[in-house]
Amino acid sequence: MTDRSATVAAGDGGRLVVDGRPVAFRPGDSVAVAMLREGLVPGRGGTICLAGDCGNCLAQVDGVAYVRTCQTAARAGLSVVGHPSEGLPDLPVVRATAATSSPLAREIEVARREVDVAIVGGGSAGLEAAETAERSGRTVLVLDAGAGDEVVAIYAGPMLVVRTRAGMLHVHAHEIVVATGAAEIHPVAPGSGLRGLVTARAAERLQAAGVSLGAAVAVGTPPEGVAATPASGRPVRFEGKEGRVRAVVTVDAASGAETTTPADTVVLGLGCAPRDLLARMAGEVPLSVVGAAAEEAPLPPPPTEGVVCPCMGTTVADLEAAWDKGFQELELLKRSSQACLGTCQGGACLSHVRSWIAARTGEVPAPFTARPASRQITLAEAAADAYVDAFRRTPLHDEHLALGARMDRFGNWWRPWHYGDPIAEYWAVREGVSLGDVSTLGKLVVSGPDVVEALERLYPCHVADIKPGRSRYALLLNERGHVMDDGMILRESETRFVLSFTSGGAANAEMWVRDWIETWGLRVHVLDRTMSLGAINVTGPLAGELLRRAGLADQPRFLGHVHADIAEVPSHVMRLSFTGEAAFELHHPVDRSVELWRALMDLGADLGIRPHGLQALFGLRLEKGHVIVGMDTELDTTPRRIGLDWAVRMEKPAFIGRAALERTAKLDDHRRWMGFTMDGVAPTEGSPIWADGEIVGNVTGSWTSPLLGKALVLGWQRRTPVRDRVEIDGREAAVSPTPFYDPEGHRARA
Amino acid sequence: MPALDRLRGVRVVADPVAVDRATFHGDDVTVLRFAPDDAFGLGAGGVDVDDPDAIVEDERGFVGAWLDPAGIELHTEWPLPTERPALAQGSIAGVPAKLWLPVDGDALVLTAAAYGDELETRLGWRS
Repeated sequence: MTDRSATVAAGDGGRLVVDGRPVAFRPGDSVAVAMLREGLVPGRGGTICLAGDCGNCLAQVDGVAYVRTCQTAARAGLSVVGHPSEGLPDLPVVRATAATSSPLAREIEVARREVDVAIVGGGSAGLEAAETAERSGRTVLVLDAGAGDEVVAIYAGPMLVVRTRAGMLHVHAHEIVVATGAAEIHPVAPGSGLRGLVTARAAERLQAAGVSLGAAVAVGTPPEGVAATPASGRPVRFEGKEGRVRAVVTVDAASGAETTTPADTVVLGLGCAPRDLLARMAGEVPLSVVGAAAEEAPLPPPPTEGVVCPCMGTTVADLEAAWDKGFQELELLKRSSQACLGTCQGGACLSHVRSWIAARTGEVPAPFTARPASRQITLAEAAADAYVDAFRRTPLHDEHLALGARMDRFGNWWRPWHYGDPIAEYWAVREGVSLGDVSTLGKLVVSGPDVVEALERLYPCHVADIKPGRSRYALLLNERGHVMDDGMILRESETRFVLSFTSGGAANAEMWVRDWIETWGLRVHVLDRTMSLGAINVTGPLAGELLRRAGLADQPRFLGHVHADIAEVPSHVMRLSFTGEAAFELHHPVDRSVELWRALMDLGADLGIRPHGLQALFGLRLEKGHVIVGMDTELDTTPRRIGLDWAVRMEKPAFIGRAALERTAKLDDHRRWMGFTMDGVAPTEGSPIWADGEIVGNVTGSWTSPLLGKALVLGWQRRTPVRDRVEIDGREAAVSPTPFYDPEGHRARA
Repeated sequence: MPALDRLRGVRVVADPVAVDRATFHGDDVTVLRFAPDDAFGLGAGGVDVDDPDAIVEDERGFVGAWLDPAGIELHTEWPLPTERPALAQGSIAGVPAKLWLPVDGDALVLTAAAYGDELETRLGWRS
């Protein structure tokens, strides 16, 4: 930060407003300098560096908290409000127009630039690097925080995120040079939070800006051109009154004698540490560090008393307490004590913490890896030009809304959670007929001379014996034998199949299938039809009757599938069941979904038809004990753990995951996913499952069954021996076999 | 305001050489080559392809709009191709999409219909 305004009369720049009071500033002033000139102290106290290296001058500026006033150019009308002396500043109230967009983020312009060389830091080393690069004919961009271009992050790419006075700048550079110089070391000693402490460079800048330091005392290397009384020795204590320093106490290293020197301002020349936060953020990004940022510098003496990390208030005693608990490594000590976790990200305290550790271990720990953002930025700045995930809409989205659906997000889709009465929706399935929108299911067509070979390798079940017009439930396993997804394999001809997957797992499953087919070099074509086909599930004991009305005279038997026109819409009709009742999935061209949905609703009006949402569907499936991969399963769930061993045919010579399953089958396994029943209402999903005073598992699905009149639970027991009775939500629950409903599966096959 | 309309055509996934030689039926067909083995014949009513295992399907799953590509570049993190014709595939306004840039004239932005509303909203075409 450079202040070039020493000769300009006070007030020539205008006035800003500090805590409701007008404060004159000069052209070139930062907010901090303008405040100090008026005798005001930016921040809560502590050493002022005017270089953006610490968090001691933070204030709320134009409604944004945690702004470094030393890095903020003063301008007329700027509103500055000090943070409260205790606690956190109030969060601003943001009234977003929609949950997925922020008006603040939208207002921030994001510019992009592509250069050969981006140089971070406009000091002598940075400018020298710039000249060298320019001489070789490369395009160069110098980004200097003092000029208003603060680099806050370096990502792979490489890409730099820069906060500028105009907004945000994303710089794509082929080469990055970090020339950020060195930061002055802050003191750690009792009283270091008093006002009136400044670093040597800050003193020089204040002097140049015409700010009076009063009776200044210099400790350590004195500032240039600043009248200050030298005080020899190391500072061990700052004494003050009403929050303001009145004296500094130094100790002579040789004699141990203390000297107290009265002062209005204590100027601290305690050495420097490389300002290498950005360099440490770069990771694998190719980057060079030049100048003082690259130079090793002696660490300060290990602190013995006082606040080490001014941002977080971490004291030497806090470090000792964390160390005594066993956190005896920099990363662990940092997390445990919270030192270096504040707004300056270790700028003021890292060298002290390293020195403190070195005094105990005899080794100086390397600085920790830095992560974006290096400077505090607002959420709006971070979100500017970034989009939240796009959630897909099924072709029936507007139909659902018109029917009063409450929509929610599942598996990257908007889906109806219920239509106002989930219990009535449940009964429509159990006793009548109901429609469900299952357009979100993954749908893959695979075809080719090697397709059977490919599917036999991909799936743990037999595939070759599936006849055209028939289908089979299948798990998808990874190499470790863990369940990735599940769905159906439907055979259309000798060389063509349709594969279905879960809504949330479809994209991953598609990549998985493609990757393996390519890896094996098999002759199989793959086409993802997930978003090209709509799908409606017609389910309930009257589903067959409804489809007869819609033109399906010859209905496939359970696990069969046919192509037929349903209400004049060409459909692939699949006889499956996830609800436990007779069910037909109608896959059809996506542009005809509304037409088909409305026709079925009309044809079923006198059958009491109504659509069902996910809430009812989850209850229906729970009564059947069907697993939902991703909801009930964990990343390392094997078929055995969820009772789906029957879907794995170990007699097959090879399939993905077979070797792992064979190996792990010989090992003890303490985890089982199972059913429980209990009186009363269903416990909350995710509830812990207790036995003998300890947590033995958790609930993955629960439902108060209208039909069975009790709470049904699916969940994990992760300890052996498996208990027959457990406690959930303070109530007793009994392990119960699944399915809870129609265990023979007569209704689905009806 | 522009709007995304339903695109109709024929999708074929087949041996890349067969896709190269495929003949799409129709008077005004634009062939978008999504991948070496995957093509979308926009406006086609059928296709002749010399691969017995080819997957040929009526494709109604995309929506699109013809427009000046300059308006799209504001919403991409990637530079638009300078060569023409070109098919670019990536994120537009954070939505998976494709951009067909013919030799001259307007470009076609297309996305899966499931993303259509979201893309229109993010491009400011609807509130």
